[in-house]
Amino acid sequence: MQYFAGIDIGSTAIKIAIVDENKKLVGHKISASGSMFYKYAKQSLKDMLEELNIDEKDLVYTISTGYGRKLFKEADENISEITANAIGAIAAARGKCEVRTIINIGGQDSKAISLDNEGNVVNFAMNDRCAAGTGKFLDVVAMNLELEVDELGEYHFKSKGTPLAINSTCAVFAESEIIGLLGNDNSVEDIVAGVHYSIAKRIIKLVKRVGIKDGIYFDGGPALNGGLVHAIENELGREIFIPEFPQITTSYGAAILAQESYEYENQVH
Amino acid sequence: MIKHTIETPKERQNRHKAMEAAIVLEKIRHDFKEPPKAMDYFYDLYERVHCKHESLHDDKVKVGTMCIQVPSEIIYALDAAPMRLCNGFYTDDEIGSDLLPSKSCPLVKATVGQFVSNNFSDKPDIVISPTTCDQKAKSGAIIEEMGFSVYDMEFPRTKESEESREYWRRSVKKFTKELSVNLDKKLTKTKLKDAIKKVGYAQHLYHRLNILRKNSNSPILGKDMFLVTNAFFFDNIDNWIEAVEELAQECEQRVKDKVNTASKRSPRIVYTGSPPIFPNLKVPLLIELSDAIIVADETCSSNRMFNDMVSVDEWFVYDMVDSIADRYLKGCTCPIFTKNSDRKRRIIDLVKDYKADGVVYQAFAGCQVYEMEQRSVLEAMEKAGIPILYIESDYSPSHLGQLTTRIEAFVESLKNRKRKR
Repeated sequence: MQYFAGIDIGSTAIKIAIVDENKKLVGHKISASGSMFYKYAKQSLKDMLEELNIDEKDLVYTISTGYGRKLFKEADENISEITANAIGAIAAARGKCEVRTIINIGGQDSKAISLDNEGNVVNFAMNDRCAAGTGKFLDVVAMNLELEVDELGEYHFKSKGTPLAINSTCAVFAESEIIGLLGNDNSVEDIVAGVHYSIAKRIIKLVKRVGIKDGIYFDGGPALNGGLVHAIENELGREIFIPEFPQITTSYGAAILAQESYEYENQVH
Repeated sequence: MIKHTIETPKERQNRHKAMEAAIVLEKIRHDFKEPPKAMDYFYDLYERVHCKHESLHDDKVKVGTMCIQVPSEIIYALDAAPMRLCNGFYTDDEIGSDLLPSKSCPLVKATVGQFVSNNFSDKPDIVISPTTCDQKAKSGAIIEEMGFSVYDMEFPRTKESEESREYWRRSVKKFTKELSVNLDKKLTKTKLKDAIKKVGYAQHLYHRLNILRKNSNSPILGKDMFLVTNAFFFDNIDNWIEAVEELAQECEQRVKDKVNTASKRSPRIVYTGSPPIFPNLKVPLLIELSDAIIVADETCSSNRMFNDMVSVDEWFVYDMVDSIADRYLKGCTCPIFTKNSDRKRRIIDLVKDYKADGVVYQAFAGCQVYEMEQRSVLEAMEKAGIPILYIESDYSPSHLGQLTTRIEAFVESLKNRKRKR
């Protein structure tokens, strides 16, 4: 059996997905990017092959993607995360949701991607300026509230009052807004809900730039946060699809492309 | 993952408005020195109406008014509840933006926006649209096309001439008759007299409270006064009167106890221009967060509602109606009028009476008449030696940075002047 890997090197985490000849996902792994992307990415891939009991020789094609994709020299090819995300989303949602719009929130940026009926990327928008409305923003919020990031969802649903909006677009200023709200004895739950709605509103603006089409797929680490999902659904007024493993969509897409690239290159003409 | 139902558009709009209101109330309650205890009534009122969307007038016929010029005395005399629909919500402003030209006034856009979404905690049974400014006159027609029952109330654009006075008196008379027919209520002498007295008493209470701001230790901040006056838009008048009685009493005590809600060095500001309407209290809040205090205002969402009282010669129905009409025309300092030396005079009087150090003039971007009158007011102030800051702004809650800097710099310059004096 031959195997194919997609490595998504993001600002916060390295995501690796491995598929077999039939593009079936056989394994995935998420590890922190840390300060030395390249070293950690290599190590992570090695560990993974061992865990899955795959001989290094059988890993025939690797594609890197994500913000640190060019640093991974062993890759046979590298592609942008937009393409990889689109391919990954269509595959992950197959049979459950016809994906036309993708919302991706990463550690340092957020994206909206619009697809046509055949799954081609027709338009995309990114917030490339700052950390507002990204995973990093949620990290900062959780830290200020002395919570773990994965507790945010739970707190959101416990909010009984009016969610308290954060108006600053800047993560640094938002921090001081949150501290101010805490100082005035507001409930942590209402602040958390307010933060989620503030991020949701910003994301909706991004999605509107590419056009909202039904079949909305949400991935990236923050998609694990049920509170944020709820906020985005409410702002959009429609349901969104969350894949089983929201963090690995892009690496899964890269792995599928790796298989296709390999097949194409080795075609007998 | 916990599965939850998705909000309906109405629920979403309500949440947006609740979030807008909550964050402003939060600031008003906590970011300043301790307010009078009696303000709690108003804080709770705004929370009930704007965060929890409670209705206040279930038992009454509701007459929506699009402008300060609709005589509330007549509506009260016909057993209905007047509801001023001038709107301060950015959420509704964004909705209205889809219908109106992008350069329209945010207040008008927000008002129309609320009709577009047809989402009221107290839905008006009939809407009275005075033909005061162009944008309001035209939005009356837009709202009518949406299926609301709208009555256009003609209003003159000059106030000096005898013709305009006569014209407006006839317009008020016609309005009185038609509303009486529409609501199927007869206007009696006693009811009209009672209504004039009640509104007059509310005005008296406002003045009793307002003059306390002349003290060098002001017992109440401008942001709270705006809440009190804004509440007159929609609150049950009897409850409002009771709450302001209590507030005035407490503030009188505060004056005796020399409680100062600002600091000794805080410059005293007279606020004029486009009306701050909750939750768009952006500029007043920025002023008072910059360590200045608003001691008086000349706006239609506050001072102008209470300024002039009805003065009646003979207590006959149509004499009373004429007197009511006069109150609304003669005392009005709205910039829609051709000339407006009254407004300049009033601002200068307020500066003198309330020992103010400067004036802040806000015009909503898109409110043409306030924008146009800016120049002549600025010149008049300059002549009178009164420092003035002119600001153009809208309802958007972000991008406060530049606005803050301008206001802070103005306040600092007033402080420097004060020190040198």
